[in-house]
Amino acid sequence: MNGINLFPLFLSFKVASASVAIALITGIPLAYFLSRNKNRLSYFIDSLMNLPIIFPPTVLGYYLLVLLGRQSHIGKFLENNFDIMIVFTPLGAVLASTIVSIPYLIKAAKVSFEEVDKDYINAARVMGKTETVIFFTIILPIAWRGVISGVSMAFARALGDFGTTLMVAGSIPDETLTMPIAIYNSLQADDGKTANIMVLIMTIIALATLFIISRLSYKRKGERNA
Amino acid sequence: MLEVNATKILGDFTLNVNFTHERGILSIIGSSGCGKSMTLKCIAGLITPDSGTITINDKTLYSTDSKINIPARLRKIGFVFQNSALFPHMSVYKNIEYGISDKPRKIREQAVKDIIERTHLNGLGKRFPHQLSGGQQQRCALARTLVTEPEILLLDEPFSAADGHTKHILESELITIIKHNFHKPVLLVTHNIEEAYRLSDRIMIIENGRCVQTAAKDKVIDHPASVNAARITGCKNIFPADIISSSGKETIIKCGEMTISAAGIVPDKDNIFIGIRAHYINILSEQTSGINIFPCKIIEVTEGIFSTTVITECGGNLFRAEISKTSEALKVFRKNKKLFIQIPPEKIFFTTE
Repeated sequence: MNGINLFPLFLSFKVASASVAIALITGIPLAYFLSRNKNRLSYFIDSLMNLPIIFPPTVLGYYLLVLLGRQSHIGKFLENNFDIMIVFTPLGAVLASTIVSIPYLIKAAKVSFEEVDKDYINAARVMGKTETVIFFTIILPIAWRGVISGVSMAFARALGDFGTTLMVAGSIPDETLTMPIAIYNSLQADDGKTANIMVLIMTIIALATLFIISRLSYKRKGERNA
Repeated sequence: MLEVNATKILGDFTLNVNFTHERGILSIIGSSGCGKSMTLKCIAGLITPDSGTITINDKTLYSTDSKINIPARLRKIGFVFQNSALFPHMSVYKNIEYGISDKPRKIREQAVKDIIERTHLNGLGKRFPHQLSGGQQQRCALARTLVTEPEILLLDEPFSAADGHTKHILESELITIIKHNFHKPVLLVTHNIEEAYRLSDRIMIIENGRCVQTAAKDKVIDHPASVNAARITGCKNIFPADIISSSGKETIIKCGEMTISAAGIVPDKDNIFIGIRAHYINILSEQTSGINIFPCKIIEVTEGIFSTTVITECGGNLFRAEISKTSEALKVFRKNKKLFIQIPPEKIFFTTE
């Protein structure tokens, strides 16, 4: 692979990993909240979770720019107090791909949390356990397949994000240029070889994700029959 | 001593239960959706009542007046669920250990070992729930509950997942284990009156969210407190009755076109009904002298394995009788002869709506 700049590949992996990590930390508690509460607030948050899927990526990116740009309140606050800039930095790319990928994680986790039989939770309660202990010892271990499949989907989505990342982080070579944008750029520059290799890598990752997800759901069915 | 007085409104269903239970097994019986399981869940703290008080041994678990609502995890209650609810990702050993995981390791190991022995689960510690038979699963569920040394044991239809033959074995296994290892109050929810009678000391009948009757099991069978209670306890023959006369020993009643003599005590209420259980009714091939013998018309005969069910019409009432398969009357019936039913006066009970 001489002559090919692999920076976009590594950046994409770093960005996607960071996004999934953030999505896990914030998304799992949110998914748990949504699975346990059925009220107006939870329905509202639940539908809000669909927005990143429904919105065109550029529109979503535009909103993030307005919300977090250097001229916005939040942007100014972060820059003045912490010297943090989001727009046109790798941080912006992480934020963009977190926003577009977190719905997939939350949805998958929420469904698998809901599928945990209420009797297991009640049994653990009468056996003297707190809700937090029950979450880590009963709910998460029983629902982990759903969580992993959500993580895989979120990772794939984060890795492949184009529009939102381009809007928020731009495509500064060796700084914020991620794989999907690099593919586009190399095609624009008539560099078919680079584009092909990158497309191949992305395809393998997508297929691997698909394999993991179907493998997990297959095992889940098998376990029930046992 | 368990004292429950709780009300919970859910949509158009109202649960309003009021009972006490001191020792032995109390069966809670009623049709599905009558609030049996809900009652257990209120006691366990898995459902919060709207108002009332729940106390165990003078310790208040729930009280609207003093704003007490102890969370389920602090109530020290043993609960066995219908489908055992064993944690599928944990071995038998881990399931049993789960409730005492905060205790020191030595005590924990001894307690688990001990209860595995008592519940006859020896050698199964490393198995996972799906590798156990239904009976082993319920024994494991019982073991993991007993190991926490609860103040009361609540069993929510623990045998309903088992079928016929295995059910009887499971029943006697579980009840033997409980009787040998647990000497505090036990509540057993069931919808099967036979099961309730076999296993418990007292029976409570719930109907539409209300306790209709709580009494010693024989009293519930002999004197159901209401028509529905009588039906729930399996009585097939219940008729509205008009009291003609009542002396200390004998009550004469009119039931359709029949005038029947009964020995029970008449409740001082309107809308009196009489009931008689199917196996107390005799079918005779000829009219002998005696009381309460009426000519009848056979409507339907259904042969069971050990007895035969005969539906007869008599004075505008349909009676269902459970008679022996070797009954003389049945042979006569096959020859199309006239038959008579006999209703023993002392087996008739009075009840109201």
